[in-house]
Amino acid sequence: MSEVDPETDAVKVASGARDRVHFEEEALELADQVYRVARRLVSSREEAEDLMQETYIRAFRSWRSYTPGTNLRAWLLRILTNLNIDRGRKVQRTPDVQPLEEGDYFLYNKLEQSTGEANLDEERVLERLSQDDVVDALAAVPHNFRDVIVLVDIGDFSYQDAAQILDIPIGTVMSRLHRGRRILKGELANVATEDS
Amino acid sequence: MIDPCDRCEEVLQPYLDRELTEAERLEAESHLDVCSYCRKRYTFEVELRRYVRQVVIEPMPAALKARLADLARETPLEA
Repeated sequence: MSEVDPETDAVKVASGARDRVHFEEEALELADQVYRVARRLVSSREEAEDLMQETYIRAFRSWRSYTPGTNLRAWLLRILTNLNIDRGRKVQRTPDVQPLEEGDYFLYNKLEQSTGEANLDEERVLERLSQDDVVDALAAVPHNFRDVIVLVDIGDFSYQDAAQILDIPIGTVMSRLHRGRRILKGELANVATEDS
Repeated sequence: MIDPCDRCEEVLQPYLDRELTEAERLEAESHLDVCSYCRKRYTFEVELRRYVRQVVIEPMPAALKARLADLARETPLEA
């Protein structure tokens, strides 16, 4: 029988439309969480908004390539980070000048020093960092390191997910995360002690 | 011999990320039990991570959310 059964086709279209609506709902529900990461991967709100729109257009177009039941948030972020690289942020060579990397106690010691009092409570030391200090310090961390910090520490992705999203080995995720956090703390020490 | 505080500083991140072996973890904890200098800096690190996360989160603009929903409607089922 070579004739197309119109009823079967109609059923297929209807079920495709239902799956798509379901996909859209799930993807839109995750938009806040995707934006949270996107906003810190780029430097301005405008860039983040453009990137979100491009990401969602691509996601709605290629929704069939998403496997239901897998991590949709990671799937969306994978599209987003690829688009971000395409947008001119070419995969970075290791920068010629490596940022100065201090030890993990450096920031605390620096902040405690700048208060002139020893043995402060941790909370009092933390109070010396304003919201702007943190935002500026994070923006000053080189991309390779910042991407990993943003995905793991702000986006709550596992090392495994971050490795897949950025297409790098899991060991690289861990080393960039550890070094990146030290660089971030070095930047925080700079911005916080400049103010005072 | 390595100074125990230097050693403790070195393992701060893997300790908090639960990446140490059992033996390494116990070594760090027995030092933290007796060293308030390191303990303070560990607590600070935990607070700092929480603080960074909290202050860098920016809510998504409502207009963008609406725009994304429009994009869903505008994109054909089979592209």
